[in-house]
Amino acid sequence: MFMNSNLFEPGKSKLERNFIQSAAKQNTRLDGRKSGDFRDVKLTFGADWGTVIVAIGDTKVLAQVSCDIGTPSSARPNEGTLHLNVSLGGVAYLNESQTTHDQRFLTLNSLLERTFRNSRSLDLESLCVAAEQHVWCVRVDITVLNHDGNLYDASTVAALAALMHFRRPDVTFLDEEIRIYSDKERELIPLLFLHYPVSVTYCLYKSNSHYPYVDPILLEENAADSIIVLSFNSYNELCSLNAGGSTPTKAGIIMQCARNAAKRSKSLVDFLKKALLLDEQRRNNKEPIMEGLVSLLTNKSQTISYNHLMKEDVSDIVMREKQEIPEKVKTEDKPVAVDAEPHKKPSKATPAPINDSAWLPRDKEASPTVVTSSAPTKTNRNKSQRGAGQQKSTQKHSKQQNQSDSEEETKPVIK
Amino acid sequence: MANSISNTTIVMPGERVTSIEDLAKSKRVILGPGLRRLDDTVVASKAGPLRHKDPNTFWVDNYQRRYVPARGDLVLGLVKAKAGDLYRVDIGSADTASISFLAFEAATKKNRPDLNPGDLIYARVLNASADIEPELVCVNSNGKRGKLGVLSDGFFFKCSLNLGRVLLRENCPALTALTRQLPYEIAVGVNGRIWLKARSMRETMALSNSILSLEQTNYSQIDRICGDLGEVLQE
Repeated sequence: MFMNSNLFEPGKSKLERNFIQSAAKQNTRLDGRKSGDFRDVKLTFGADWGTVIVAIGDTKVLAQVSCDIGTPSSARPNEGTLHLNVSLGGVAYLNESQTTHDQRFLTLNSLLERTFRNSRSLDLESLCVAAEQHVWCVRVDITVLNHDGNLYDASTVAALAALMHFRRPDVTFLDEEIRIYSDKERELIPLLFLHYPVSVTYCLYKSNSHYPYVDPILLEENAADSIIVLSFNSYNELCSLNAGGSTPTKAGIIMQCARNAAKRSKSLVDFLKKALLLDEQRRNNKEPIMEGLVSLLTNKSQTISYNHLMKEDVSDIVMREKQEIPEKVKTEDKPVAVDAEPHKKPSKATPAPINDSAWLPRDKEASPTVVTSSAPTKTNRNKSQRGAGQQKSTQKHSKQQNQSDSEEETKPVIK
Repeated sequence: MANSISNTTIVMPGERVTSIEDLAKSKRVILGPGLRRLDDTVVASKAGPLRHKDPNTFWVDNYQRRYVPARGDLVLGLVKAKAGDLYRVDIGSADTASISFLAFEAATKKNRPDLNPGDLIYARVLNASADIEPELVCVNSNGKRGKLGVLSDGFFFKCSLNLGRVLLRENCPALTALTRQLPYEIAVGVNGRIWLKARSMRETMALSNSILSLEQTNYSQIDRICGDLGEVLQE
């Protein structure tokens, strides 16, 4: 018998399953969140380029990027390679049996492969040094340090953050000879991206298939009847969809998940970009950087929190909007309250129109059941990005696009 | 630690504890968990604060999540499988425990208890040794079940062994303080597992969260946390 075969994972016992099911029926969650609330995402960048620890609640993932010169595959002689590797050794205590471990490993690995490799998020051609001879091989090592649900999002965010943070050395190829410059000789070069994908996870229960729980904790994830993982990039394009399980789900629910996931992915990517800027500032200011993994894990001073960083942003915009159009602001929203809880404000306001409809067919059923109402402040921001999204969206959706365009034009009138 | 001298000597595994050795010269001492006698020396085998209870008992109060079975312990176990006339039960120890079909109240060869994998039982450890798998029973010596047996409904979660022990101590301030707020049923296993049932699901959730938040607190904070719970539920 295996040493660790005696531990039941949280959420696997009958009692816990029944409890979570009945909790889902009443649409309540164990940690007091609403069905559409996310946990805070925290980022800590390490001293080396491409080292990052991502924490979503108690889930912790370390991602490290490395690169070296290798030979390309014969099928794609002018492209570098991207290798994604997941190590689940840190949570081996959880695995009830070998099969659980293998299954978890395989799902996670395939999610990462589809999100980053198959969607071609990295510009691999830029990693070519000499066609058919030398290319850069980029490798992402993801180590799971703690598992409290939603390993999917944690590892995609970690992988993306690490890849965005990573810099490779400059290289020249002259007279059949490769020369790699150290960071003292020439500046390191960041990787080139075509788009930035991240995933968002939902779990569904048979007792209540109308309100999918977003960002589940381990207990909720294990007790769930089905789990939906959607990867979106910041252009609202779907990169991968993993929907399994036994809950009978309406297409409208999945669409609604997708719409919210796209919004979330976009703001996550925004957050990552902002966090990278902050990290760069710190490096330029020669602030002490943390050496070693232990200090990376224990030192909280350089951790960048999503709620914190994006809160500033939202309240910033809220304030700006107020100055611009003070008559539109409801009188009950005192400025102090907005500062303290900028996230609460949108939910109080009337549900804003969903403007990701460009790429999604909208059905009438879905719109009243939207759980997370989008922030009215975001509407303006999204509109500016819409152009990019529309260009990229496939021709298939052109009809819906037109339809939604007209819809949007009417919206100000409805308001 | 109300009944122990609050000396906060921290010992590490392998460390010689000379204070006990000195005392042992004059009188008999009792070494509790985490302390060992090696010939004439006393050596700590676990890390943590050294505790002392008058007149002569010593132990190390270490933080641990892995349960080591001991005879007479009350534990919460999850049924893993049926195996012949035994059930395999996971009690969080290195080896799965077993419980016989006949170790339930009024069970006979014909009248078998209805247990399925995933069920939660409250049981007593009948024998525990390092070399054989622990055995559980759900009856006392008179064949009555008492409070033991299958637990249904409610909620179940895991915590550290220390928290389990704190809750099980006589007149534990946490449970008394929680009782003041709302009625509930609780079963605490020394293997760091807790089963809870309150009137409504909301209350059960609130209770489980407040009990888990006791994990890192001292006694002065317990009252405050329990008070907070009352406020939350009144909302």
